[in-house]
Amino acid sequence: MIDRGFIRNFSIIAHIDHGKSTLADRLLEHSGAITKREMRDQFLDDMDLEREMGITIKANRATIQHKYNGQAYMLNLLDTPGHVDFHYEVSRAMAACEGVLLLVDAAQGVQAHTVANAYIAVEANCEIILVINKIDLPAAHPEEVALEVEQVLGLAAEDAVFTSAKTGEGIDELLDAVCARIPAPIGEINAPLRALIYDAKTDIHRGIINHVRLKDGVVKRGDKIRTMAVGSEHIVTEVGKFTPKPVAVPQLSAGEVGYLLAGIKTLVDVNIGDTITLATHPASEPLSGYEAPNQMVFCDFYPGPGTQTPDLREAMEKLWLNDSSFTYEPVTSDALGIGFRCGFLGLLHMKIIQERLERESDVNVVQTAPTVTYEIGLNDGTFIHIQSPSEMPDMSSVQEIREPFCRANVIVPSHFVGAVLSLSLDRRGIHKKTEYLSPTRVMLSFEFPLGEIIYDFYDKLKSCTKGYGTVDYELIDFRGGDLVKLDILVNAMAVDALSVIVHRDKAVTRGRRLIIRLKKEISRHQFEIPLQAAIGAKVIARETIKAFRKNVTAKCYGGDISRKRKLLEKQKEGKKRMKQVGNVEIPQGAFMSILEPDD
Amino acid sequence: MWDGVLSNEVMSECGFYVHVPFCETKCGYCDFYSVPLMDRPTSPLVARLVTDIEGRAGEYSGDIVTMFIGGGTPTVLPISDFRALFSALGDVAGTHKPREFSVEANPATLDEVKMEILASAGVDRISMGGQSWHPSELETLERLHSPSDIAPGVALARRFGIGRINLDLIFGIPGQTLETWAESLRKTIDLGVDHIACYGLTYEAGTRLTSQLRAGVLTPCDENLEADMFELAVEMLRGDGYAQYEISNFARPGQACLHNLIYWRNDMYIGAGPSAAGYVDGVRYKNVSDVGRYVQMIDSVGHAVLQKERVTGAALAGETLMMQLRLNEGIALGLFASRTGIDLQQVCGSRLEMLRGRGLVDVLEDVVRLTDAGRLVADSIISDLYADVHAAEALSDRS
Repeated sequence: MIDRGFIRNFSIIAHIDHGKSTLADRLLEHSGAITKREMRDQFLDDMDLEREMGITIKANRATIQHKYNGQAYMLNLLDTPGHVDFHYEVSRAMAACEGVLLLVDAAQGVQAHTVANAYIAVEANCEIILVINKIDLPAAHPEEVALEVEQVLGLAAEDAVFTSAKTGEGIDELLDAVCARIPAPIGEINAPLRALIYDAKTDIHRGIINHVRLKDGVVKRGDKIRTMAVGSEHIVTEVGKFTPKPVAVPQLSAGEVGYLLAGIKTLVDVNIGDTITLATHPASEPLSGYEAPNQMVFCDFYPGPGTQTPDLREAMEKLWLNDSSFTYEPVTSDALGIGFRCGFLGLLHMKIIQERLERESDVNVVQTAPTVTYEIGLNDGTFIHIQSPSEMPDMSSVQEIREPFCRANVIVPSHFVGAVLSLSLDRRGIHKKTEYLSPTRVMLSFEFPLGEIIYDFYDKLKSCTKGYGTVDYELIDFRGGDLVKLDILVNAMAVDALSVIVHRDKAVTRGRRLIIRLKKEISRHQFEIPLQAAIGAKVIARETIKAFRKNVTAKCYGGDISRKRKLLEKQKEGKKRMKQVGNVEIPQGAFMSILEPDD
Repeated sequence: MWDGVLSNEVMSECGFYVHVPFCETKCGYCDFYSVPLMDRPTSPLVARLVTDIEGRAGEYSGDIVTMFIGGGTPTVLPISDFRALFSALGDVAGTHKPREFSVEANPATLDEVKMEILASAGVDRISMGGQSWHPSELETLERLHSPSDIAPGVALARRFGIGRINLDLIFGIPGQTLETWAESLRKTIDLGVDHIACYGLTYEAGTRLTSQLRAGVLTPCDENLEADMFELAVEMLRGDGYAQYEISNFARPGQACLHNLIYWRNDMYIGAGPSAAGYVDGVRYKNVSDVGRYVQMIDSVGHAVLQKERVTGAALAGETLMMQLRLNEGIALGLFASRTGIDLQQVCGSRLEMLRGRGLVDVLEDVVRLTDAGRLVADSIISDLYADVHAAEALSDRS
């Protein structure tokens, strides 16, 4: 058994695309944890979708052997997601680490998530090793980037390690630095068991695989354990480590990272962030957990073509067992029937969940426009929180509507400052601070209504900065604003699934855009269909879908009616993809198309 | 309004359709199965056609009450083949004494010899493709005849004692105006024919006209203009004593096409010839749409049926309503229910009520029929009701 003094637990944090997964691959390969033959590119990104999108979503893990100063070290690498939506998973991994590698692209320099992730590491008391990566790139300027980091985060540029994960340059030095600079885990091997569940996965054959970081004590097969928050008791059937393949070991002890099986069937019985202790010899205090997931974006999922509500429910239950960071509850819409109101960490998270649902369970999902939580002050002085415009109480009982605000940092080359300021102004942003990271790069700090930036801000920022701008945001508070509920009426009937909450100043533009889109989506009917955008009883925009004047095939079919019947069959199938609102057939695609960003 | 047009007898007997798959050239809008004649020998096909006709007529035990020879252009056949074909058909007519025996003809392909053959075979009705009285419109349609062929063609038929004549007209032709359409209608009416069919030009997949449309070299008729043309036809023809009895078909009293009524009422008919369809005792069938394969199949297996389907349940109800609703007489709900097992009031009652409210259908006692306004949007109404009928079946299957 290795001495705890030679164990290092660390993770890698980086802005997306700064080479985190490649570095993880290189570390594994370099230390012989996996052979070249086993190496698929980006070994740790083992979910199809992650591989396709080139990003890491779920935290992963591996144990690496490394010799430093003649001594064998056991390095536990916890991979973390690279995207801003997954703060929560990052914080989970950090709670199980003593140190992090802060990876920065030597050509691109500091980006918004570099800053955001570094702050999480500082809060988690993790030792930070600055790694300037991609030094093989022709455009690399590693020393300047290191100075930039020093400027923003106060990490000494001279301590930076320069690597190329692609060529393998600097990897040895980096592993040495991990051994030398990251503290050994502290904790008492003789104290009562305390193991943090920092992740859990469902395996259809083996039940729940708990990913644990042991702070104190020892755990082995046959131990009777208790989860301190949930209070359930189980017998341990196996403990092991990730090499990165799971390998059973006789026991896990303080400081180590590994997995634990205890015959737990579903994630409902496991609270990620909970502390495991021994039932026979329990610890008195649980470990301080991690940041709980904070759902910031909400939308409804309804069954799409060929999918029934029970199918969708089953698919959501299954996915939730694998990713409990989204929430869902049943909801009924007049227009779309029975579906689920879901909460997500961010817009990307929403998109990933939707794709995983469709891919992993073969269901079709109709999704409504994403929204944020609004705080509604009622006349009686109480407040309620709503996650959908359709939950808005009668306006006569509403005193005020408060919207969530976030603090956002935007990092751009300095000549894009004007473009970013005008975009931000358009999104009701409040400019707080301008900070020069270097003579050519700037970090702009804003406060934004969250609802203004969840939607398409990221795309807009990318396009107005030629792809150079990056943004990161965190929720700060709720603030009152001149907000209104904008209803969309189709043939004089309000379609609940199309309502949005917007600032009064933007209501006309938004309403007009929604109905113009809707007009493109809805086919002409036997009658004229007015489309209206309205605030309360006041109509602020109107379009009309004209009735068709002629819709008849004046043709002689002769005796061969097969083609005519085929056409009717096709139309019949098409109608199944329609949602009937009053007498109007709205294609399900219409509910999606309003989500598309402006041209 | 339409009552006087129809004969009073209930048509539950069988029609007989024969498809002659040759044309001089193929018209740009046509999607019926036909091949350009060129110098192709037609006798191998006609020999098999005669076999098919004799076989089909011989195996049917009931009465053949209508005969319809279409195509293609039956009248393009060389004289010896033409004679052979109509000799066989004359035999069938002699046996069954049909109430109606129609032949399609192109005005430019009629001559005295052929007319004599038709008359002696018992043909009593000729359906001619007039299409338009304007050369430029005929050119757009790629028709070979000219307006000046129309009147002589009609006169020729009459001279041989074939008094029942239909002329087809087409509206919605690119470049056509309300004025030229009115003129075509007027000239046709003035010929004194007893039946006029007004077809809206449709762009069928695979036709030259459709590819021209896609290529942007053709500007389709505006929807409003087309609707105006349709309404003008109804108005003018009604004024001159032609009652509309089907969306595109207008006839003087007693002159409705009995054979086409069989199709629209979804009754029985036998089909012979390449690509011909038949519907006998609840089974639909369709012959192969290829002259060569047709010849082979007739020689080897004695028929040329490629597809066969027994139609029941919602499919039967769907077909029946899609055909019957095109007729001004509409759907008799009681008969419909006893035939299909589906009560339309029950499965689409609320839809019918809504359509009635909008003035698109009339529901009088036991009969549902489209109004004039309803006929203009008949496709969408039929499409909705068709889906309702199938949805009701799907629902009852599940429970």
